[in-house]
Amino acid sequence: MELFRPSSLAEAASALGDGGRALAGGTELVPLLRDGLVKAERLVELRRVIPSGVEGTAIGAGTTLAELEANEEIPDVLREASRLAASPQLRNMGTIGGNLLQATRCWYWRLHFPCRLHGGDICHAREGQHREHAIFANDYCASAHPSDLAAALLALDATVETSRAAYPLAGLYRVPDEHDRNVVDLRPDEVITRIHYERPERSVYLKAMDRRRWAFALVGVAAARVGDETRIALAGAAPIPWRLDSPDALAEATPLPGTAFKLELARTLVERALARLG
Amino acid sequence: MPVRRLPEDRGGDLELARLIRSEKEVEGRYEEVWTLVDEDALEQWPAGPGAVVGLPAPRIDGYAKARGEARYTADVRLPGMLHAAVLRSPHARARLTRLDLAAAAAAPGVLAVVGPGEVEGVDGDAPFEGWPVAAVAARTEGEARAALRRATPEWEELEPLLDPDEAVRRGSLVAPSRTYERGDYDRGLAEADAVVEAAYTTQTLNHNPLETHVCVCEWRGDSLDVHVSTQGIWGIRSELAEALGLAPDRVRVLCEYMGGGFGAKEGIGTYLLLAAELARRTGRPVRCALSRREENVVSGNRNATRQHVTAAARADGTLTALGGEFTCSLGWRGWLPPTAGPMQLLYACENVRTAEHGAKLNLPPMAAFRAPGFVEGTWSLECVLDKLAAELGIDPLELRRLNHAETDAMDGRPFSSKQLLECYRRAEPHWRRRDEVRARSDEVWKHGMGLASQIWFGGGGPPSYAWVRLGSDGRANVVTAMQDIGTGTRTAMAQIAAEELGLTLDDVEVQVGDSARGPYATISGGSSTLPSMGPAVRSAAADAARQVLELAAQRFERAEGTLRLDGGRIVCSDGESWSLAEITSLLDDGQILGKGARGPNPAGMRILTFGIQLAEVAVDVGTGEVRVEKVVAIHDVGRVINPLGARSQVEGGIIQALGHTFSEARLDDPRTGVVLTKTLDAYKVPTIADVPEIVCELVDLPDPQLTNLGSKGLGEPPIVPTAAAIANAIRDATGADVTSLPITREEVLRALREAQERERVGALPA
Amino acid sequence: MPELRVNGNAYSFEAKVGRSLAQVLRDDLGLTGTKVACGEGHCGACTVQLDGVPVLSCITLVHTVEGDVTTIEGLREHPLVDAFVREDALQCGFCTPGQIVSAAALVAAHPEPTRDEIRHGMAGNLCRCGAYPRIEEAISSWRG
Repeated sequence: MELFRPSSLAEAASALGDGGRALAGGTELVPLLRDGLVKAERLVELRRVIPSGVEGTAIGAGTTLAELEANEEIPDVLREASRLAASPQLRNMGTIGGNLLQATRCWYWRLHFPCRLHGGDICHAREGQHREHAIFANDYCASAHPSDLAAALLALDATVETSRAAYPLAGLYRVPDEHDRNVVDLRPDEVITRIHYERPERSVYLKAMDRRRWAFALVGVAAARVGDETRIALAGAAPIPWRLDSPDALAEATPLPGTAFKLELARTLVERALARLG
Repeated sequence: MPVRRLPEDRGGDLELARLIRSEKEVEGRYEEVWTLVDEDALEQWPAGPGAVVGLPAPRIDGYAKARGEARYTADVRLPGMLHAAVLRSPHARARLTRLDLAAAAAAPGVLAVVGPGEVEGVDGDAPFEGWPVAAVAARTEGEARAALRRATPEWEELEPLLDPDEAVRRGSLVAPSRTYERGDYDRGLAEADAVVEAAYTTQTLNHNPLETHVCVCEWRGDSLDVHVSTQGIWGIRSELAEALGLAPDRVRVLCEYMGGGFGAKEGIGTYLLLAAELARRTGRPVRCALSRREENVVSGNRNATRQHVTAAARADGTLTALGGEFTCSLGWRGWLPPTAGPMQLLYACENVRTAEHGAKLNLPPMAAFRAPGFVEGTWSLECVLDKLAAELGIDPLELRRLNHAETDAMDGRPFSSKQLLECYRRAEPHWRRRDEVRARSDEVWKHGMGLASQIWFGGGGPPSYAWVRLGSDGRANVVTAMQDIGTGTRTAMAQIAAEELGLTLDDVEVQVGDSARGPYATISGGSSTLPSMGPAVRSAAADAARQVLELAAQRFERAEGTLRLDGGRIVCSDGESWSLAEITSLLDDGQILGKGARGPNPAGMRILTFGIQLAEVAVDVGTGEVRVEKVVAIHDVGRVINPLGARSQVEGGIIQALGHTFSEARLDDPRTGVVLTKTLDAYKVPTIADVPEIVCELVDLPDPQLTNLGSKGLGEPPIVPTAAAIANAIRDATGADVTSLPITREEVLRALREAQERERVGALPA
Repeated sequence: MPELRVNGNAYSFEAKVGRSLAQVLRDDLGLTGTKVACGEGHCGACTVQLDGVPVLSCITLVHTVEGDVTTIEGLREHPLVDAFVREDALQCGFCTPGQIVSAAALVAAHPEPTRDEIRHGMAGNLCRCGAYPRIEEAISSWRG
């Protein structure tokens, strides 16, 4: 394995196009490499070539979660999602760009069970231990997307700017199916550079977890109000960050026996989040 | 030589030589041992703080640890050292059909390979996940693990047995089922005015010491040096000697510092046998360290349980019957822990019937884990007792007091000491705050309080030995081949020696952790270290003190009986005194060597520890979140040697209990039996943010019957009652009856729904 | 040969890409005060400071390290060491170096940390013995 340190974004994109793997904070990639869940001959270090820091409503993809947590200018929902994510050291290392691209915590996937995301033909979680799994879009794969920040940014109607284009954050994700088992729609040579969000009047992030700190969301509820519009998104609820068109959309959930409680959590937290928005 | 005779009431036999029979207990398992009585019949110190003992003392190894200087087994690096990795079954039950050991042997950096059948317990018939199949030694750990991947094992998977009830039905048991009955259980039920039955479950838990199992084996000719992270140096020595066919003194076991154990590090484990064999084959030191994931599969666990319990009482609160059936999912091996113990021992109930089953399953074997059995059994007993109290309309604390056992409820033996009623008395002011706590409730957060009693062993026993050296500088050196698991044993031993010798803590060194450099010492387990080792250290210090005084008597021409050691001085009853150095400086390079032993336990008595904990909780009825706001822990463990370290033990036990209560669970795939929570993101031990206010009170009265100290062990008692106290507090706050551990969001929400349903049905007109 | 600045000293090391900072510190430089307890970024035992910021050395690739590394060996004279011993903020001691490395950064940023700041800032350092109440106390009273 080699480490490549490109001097420009174009150089980075080209190296990634040639099969390199993007390395930023390393909190996700390094363990995945060790576990053989990601294979790479060449690591492309992005730190020097992607922007970091917050300017107005633009966030450099290289901004760490700790920097966001400390930033008083960003909306509450994003700041709180950053504050309650992972552990202090992981927040010091991990970037927002990497956070959006993190893989599921599904233990079956992490332990190499031949599940659908690994190209197999069953979802082991559906029949097995799945209390931390999905309540939406879980028919093919019941994994839950762990990103608190993605839910916050969905509620903020964020746009992702990449080395290639700019599009709504929702467009970054896709529910895996038999034709394409990826949850992220990003070209191999495409690098997230910035995230733009819309400034809300009020916003809030509520997170239910098994510990008070340093745990992935059982359910995370992000909500933001812009003008007349209220937007809600969920973390830990579907294989991808999940936009909820309205509170009533919770009725469409398809919880598994072991995730029925998550729907209850979501109902309560959505109600409370909306109450907080006023 | 001093007279080394004990009075008859302490197990001595004036007719007999120095070898006697005594009872020894570890983790509730009793055995009769022959023990060499080698103890002066020292009077216990008066109750209360002495000059050093009974006063808070920062740990004497605190700086070594805090500065990162303490050398743990994981830090041992020997010249030429190789690294081992173990190939393990990825399946719960499988037969190895193919293994390319030659490919592993040919891999870069590999110096030796051990295959199936070459070491005991290493073969291709895997009865649980993690079963060892082969091992390699290579220059680096990375090379060793890479070599194993080249062996490309293939397996034929077999149907695993995973359901404990099914196992009991089929007679798949690790040990014969155990039944117990006293009185007439059925009559007890018939006589009752209230009978409560309930089912409880507990989960599988992993110890997760932060230092995983790790060893370094090095052969020196026909002798083997083993650096190992262990709770029992001497157990490793004898087990390893037996396994290798060596005389025990050819095995030297070293453990200077260890990063926790909690019961998981009591035996040798196959990884150690593999490292020894690889070291033999290569002629080089071999290190074998379990990864966190291996640790969370193969190094032992607290077994899951399914429990059905019944409690019955008359209207006045007198318990008339207690019954329980306890099924333990022990995994492939292990032993049947005393899950029925609390039901049999805690209360003066005449009629008790229990049955315990130990299911043998295709899951990794259990190991002792901090008060095994009693943690699980106290959970069900103390929860069902609260339900009974509610049924009877009796205050829960009062119900416990009413059924207090004056003597051993199993056989009528007197207790060596028991201050449980004093614990209850001290609980009262806290318990009286209950209405105030409940009154803090609002629409979302419901507040409540609960309590639970604690009973457990912790008396220790012989044999255990210590030496105390005094040099010309007047400093004392305590030598004993024990290990300090992290409880602060080193510091407590230094305090005891300092107290006896009239020295300050700074004048005492303690050397532990080397079987070739000190006498036999007990295991760090079963809350037995302090009550076993402490008396031996005191006896050794007293022997050294006696020799100093003998020299002083000659030197200063006084009668021996007129002299004593105090404040670093030799003090005569005539008022004169001399500094200790005036005698020790005469020694030049000579040394005074005192030796001491743990005496026997008092014959015909039951030695137990007692306590009560009270929990204050807040429950979010919308999300099932439970916040424990405060835990008050009141325990009776005899004399407290170091109040500072003791408080840490209590807090640590409660915090581990909070993990057991709320967030920790080993989850196994129900289809394949593979452990899913191998990593510390999935297996959630508590963080600093999860900790409530903890108030710790120790009764601190010496047990007058027990040894020359009157101290019992404290490692385990604090973890025993916490979960039940919390569950009772949740019921107090909300009416919800949680019955399974861990108390997850889903369990609280389920119990809340059930309580609402009960209320709705109860409110319907008849 | 790549270089590493640790506790004010410069070291050169040889390692394949993929090797962690923790491995190089412990195995190549002999700085075994930094512990590895999970090896995958979950427990905090391996915490070191990189330019004053606590990071997990077990999942930090050593070749990516550009700043100044501070390990427990560089913090031995920090008042927190006294505070941890005084308050009995350690039991087995295996997590302690990581705790102190994290705490040193915390008190540098918040010289008078509140209980909430301590609980939030120290949540990534697991202590299985449960020394947390004492750790909180030691950090609160770190200046003695």
